[in-house]
Amino acid sequence: MTNPAAEALDRDFPYRHPTLKDKIINQNTLLSVISIISLFVLWWLLVHFRVYRFSLLPSPAEVLEEGAIWVQTNVFWFDTLATTLRVLVGVLAAYLTAIPLGLMIGWRKNFSDLTFPTLELLRPIPAPAYLPLAILLLPWQEASVAFIPFIDAFFPVLLNTITGVKLIDRDYFRAARCLGSSPKQIFWHIVLPGALPSISSGCAIGMGIGWMGAVVGEMITGKWGLGYRIWESYTLTRYALIVDGMVAIGILGFASSVLIRYLTVKMIPWRRAITEALDESITQ
Amino acid sequence: MTTAGYEGTQDSMFLKQLKKTFLDWSLFRKVMSFVLFLVAWSLIVIAVDYFQQIPTPKAVLMALFDIPFTAILLHIAKSFFRVLAGFFLGILIGFPMGVAIGYSRVLKCLIFPAFEMIRPIPPIAWIPMSVLFFVHIESQIVFLTFYGAFFPIVYNTMGGISEVDIRLPRAAMSFGLDRKRMLMKVILPAAMPQIFTGMRLAMGITWILVVAAEMMANKGGMGYYVWYNHTVMDYPHVVLGMGIIGLCGAICSIGINAVGNYFTRWRRIF
Repeated sequence: MTNPAAEALDRDFPYRHPTLKDKIINQNTLLSVISIISLFVLWWLLVHFRVYRFSLLPSPAEVLEEGAIWVQTNVFWFDTLATTLRVLVGVLAAYLTAIPLGLMIGWRKNFSDLTFPTLELLRPIPAPAYLPLAILLLPWQEASVAFIPFIDAFFPVLLNTITGVKLIDRDYFRAARCLGSSPKQIFWHIVLPGALPSISSGCAIGMGIGWMGAVVGEMITGKWGLGYRIWESYTLTRYALIVDGMVAIGILGFASSVLIRYLTVKMIPWRRAITEALDESITQ
Repeated sequence: MTTAGYEGTQDSMFLKQLKKTFLDWSLFRKVMSFVLFLVAWSLIVIAVDYFQQIPTPKAVLMALFDIPFTAILLHIAKSFFRVLAGFFLGILIGFPMGVAIGYSRVLKCLIFPAFEMIRPIPPIAWIPMSVLFFVHIESQIVFLTFYGAFFPIVYNTMGGISEVDIRLPRAAMSFGLDRKRMLMKVILPAAMPQIFTGMRLAMGITWILVVAAEMMANKGGMGYYVWYNHTVMDYPHVVLGMGIIGLCGAICSIGINAVGNYFTRWRRIF
């Protein structure tokens, strides 16, 4: 080092790698903790001092108490299992249909012309509106509840798959054709791996929306499940249980989205940066 | 190159042009897509015994002629009011909040973790709470649509602002822009594409919520119309109702796209 000014700077303010302690205890963490605590304090204050109609709502302590009892019952586990299964069946069915369809639509112009306009016609119809038809079509009530997460998850996965294929560099196709690849090889070696990052973020979004769909279905036609339970708690005026149900749904939905994201990132080590950019650009 | 060959290319060019203008195969296939859909739908309903309760396209078309016209307009107006009220409330509160969170680190740390705690709860699960808290049915539904629109708008506004290319504000700073103009002229326009992505998502979610809430509430609206016709087993009208809801949703997203195109018109230069 020949620069005396830089040397002086290094001597007076030596660079120190941030330690674990620095990473955990800093202003950001402090503010985050304040944020979460103030949420609960605000809730407690509003209920405790009976501001407007907050007097009707349960306080955090009541919710915790009721929740602790609820978790120990069999009803809780049965409801959780039922809702999770409905979401999984619906969303997995959506993955299995939307991903191949999306790959073909993105890849083959002719196929896209033949199918995509119809799908675009059906897309703006919100999933709950399909419920009467699902009840009519599917003889088993479980299936008609699982149909709503299916519809909810289908279109985000489909659109993300199509976008994923469209984003693949055209030169890959040209190179493969030059080297004499068959369409089958192009599909397995270019279309599918190229679209996977985008598909994975579509899957995470679909999972998140699928939870919403399952709750809708259970509230309207269910006989059990977490969505039904919170509606029943409302009619039975056990208001603390409503909040417990909401928390349970929130935790499960969050966990399943995180799981999907983790699995897909593990499965697709390439172009992780693109996945992250897509994840951030399409929240919820 | 002979004259004959030259004329030949001219000819084929002319034919190509003719084909392009009069024989657009892509458009033909797109039209065929709808035709095939309708044919497949009718065939399945007529041929398969199991599906015979599903109305045929013809029955749905016939249902179009005997809808109670003023009643359905009222239903549509109610649904639109609920969606738009929630959506604009969401923008009114969510957009400034997203800008504040995206602009300031302290505010982000202070507000964001609390949001992250609430966000995973699907808006639908708030229905009982909303019914408990709000007295009037309209405010219950508008609260739901507002809640559904709020998070996509806040998150995408925040994301859009924090992902602005750092060179743009730096360049603007070196030209001596003040903070207010920096926000209005540089940061917000650059973040606009993603902000409108958030609005499009929000609009989709509001329509889902409004239909679900109306199905449960029995107080008018298109969701109620569909559910009512389901309970009286009038399935052509159920399908018609679905179609009308889809049309309304499509109109809303077309509107957002139009406004979005205006606000992101700088993109057309590139």
